[in-house]
Amino acid sequence: MADQADPLVENGRSRAAARTPRPDHVPSERVIDFDVYRESEIVSGDPHTAVARVVASAPPVFWTPFNGGHWVLAGYPELFEAVRNPEVFSSRRGGIPPAPYEPKLVPINSDPPEHGIYRAPLAKAFSPKAMMALQDDIRSLAAALVEEVRPQGRCDFAQDIAEPLPVSIFMKIMGLPLDKLGEYRIWVNELLASGDPAVKGSASRKVVEAMSAIIKDRMSERRDDLISRLLDTEIEGRAVTFEEMQSFCLLLFIAGLDTVMNGMCYGVRHLAKDLNLQATLRADRSRIPDAVEELLRRYTFTMPGRIMACDHEAFGVRFKKDERVLLMLPAADLDAREFENPLAFDLERENKVHMAFNSGPHRCVGSHLARLELQILYEEMLARLPEFRLDPERPARTHGGQVLGFDGLGLVWDQA
Amino acid sequence: MKIIIDRRGCVGHARCEALAPEFYPLDESGYIDSDGFDVPEGQEALARRGARACPEKIIRTVNDPTGQDWPPETK
Repeated sequence: MADQADPLVENGRSRAAARTPRPDHVPSERVIDFDVYRESEIVSGDPHTAVARVVASAPPVFWTPFNGGHWVLAGYPELFEAVRNPEVFSSRRGGIPPAPYEPKLVPINSDPPEHGIYRAPLAKAFSPKAMMALQDDIRSLAAALVEEVRPQGRCDFAQDIAEPLPVSIFMKIMGLPLDKLGEYRIWVNELLASGDPAVKGSASRKVVEAMSAIIKDRMSERRDDLISRLLDTEIEGRAVTFEEMQSFCLLLFIAGLDTVMNGMCYGVRHLAKDLNLQATLRADRSRIPDAVEELLRRYTFTMPGRIMACDHEAFGVRFKKDERVLLMLPAADLDAREFENPLAFDLERENKVHMAFNSGPHRCVGSHLARLELQILYEEMLARLPEFRLDPERPARTHGGQVLGFDGLGLVWDQA
Repeated sequence: MKIIIDRRGCVGHARCEALAPEFYPLDESGYIDSDGFDVPEGQEALARRGARACPEKIIRTVNDPTGQDWPPETK
């Protein structure tokens, strides 16, 4: 078993110990080796090559023995259906692998109708209109970060720009102390990028502890920030509880301190390789919103989880209650049944209706902020830097998990 | 041509409004604030773009002059 041939792995890592035996109800032809934390391309700079391989070679619904053993929904129509069926594909638990300590995050770890109650205050706080009010702040920070690296002729885009820009904007919205950015980012990485349930659990505890202290501080004195506003929110006509505040803050922390950074890295990495696209967008910046959408589709990078609320038969397989399900949104957005020539980046593509922000009731509540930040970032990069390219000496560094993320991305450009 | 919106199915993507703000008004939380409208002549393409951008497929076109309504009948 230790030397079993593994078509999805080329880097020779020994993963035999991590295999969960195939349950009897899972047909062997639906078993595909896919380790979301350790696939060779996922951890060596090119996660979407692994995604494309799954799309090309695996059934749209399969089971993998890694990370506790779980289902993977990888097809567009299958995901479209599953995310709209929360009574069966419940969002109550979503971690893969399951961790010993899984605090409830709201609204994501709740199903309708409870979900709507927790979502409403966030939907309002992150509405398109509320986000537009932030655009000057976002633009001036983006401009300052780009100007800081411009004279160097090179930068690590992930660390110099993509991390500080959305993370500090989000920390300001929430009311978190900006001098903690480095420490918080370490915790987020432990939570999201580590496949070790013990590491995840202890990171959750650290975040909950830090958020609890800030919530208590705002309970004694409100400030002009989201945590203070949430404290004044009513949940079904009563005051929000301390535990609910912890749940909100843990969700916001995880969602806000990582995802957009990765979207920026995928987009800028594509631009650094596609010099014609850079020229097109520099010549006509009105095309940038279209580029934002097509980049999101081509490089969708988040994979929320679900837990089966009951036994269920669908997509030609039988799911059992309490099995975990990975929503492989990046694969759905490369599904040829939905997108013609899906691996091509096509600015003129008519159908750009992707699942990068998921869809159904759990549509990413921060999507309007993310889109605005991506658009402004691309505008400022293209306006302030000459043609930028990948730095052959510092190739992209990436990690796996339910967010396919970046650790580093070297760029170079000619100095004026 | 008419647009019919099943607003109970809106989850707030706001893509319709991003592409055709004059046709697709949002409420203060960013959800659709319309059940539909008659499309003024000459504005069909814009209204159609807004409808097709909806990831939930809850915006329908009726009597599209191209003869092809959205979303296409399935099954």
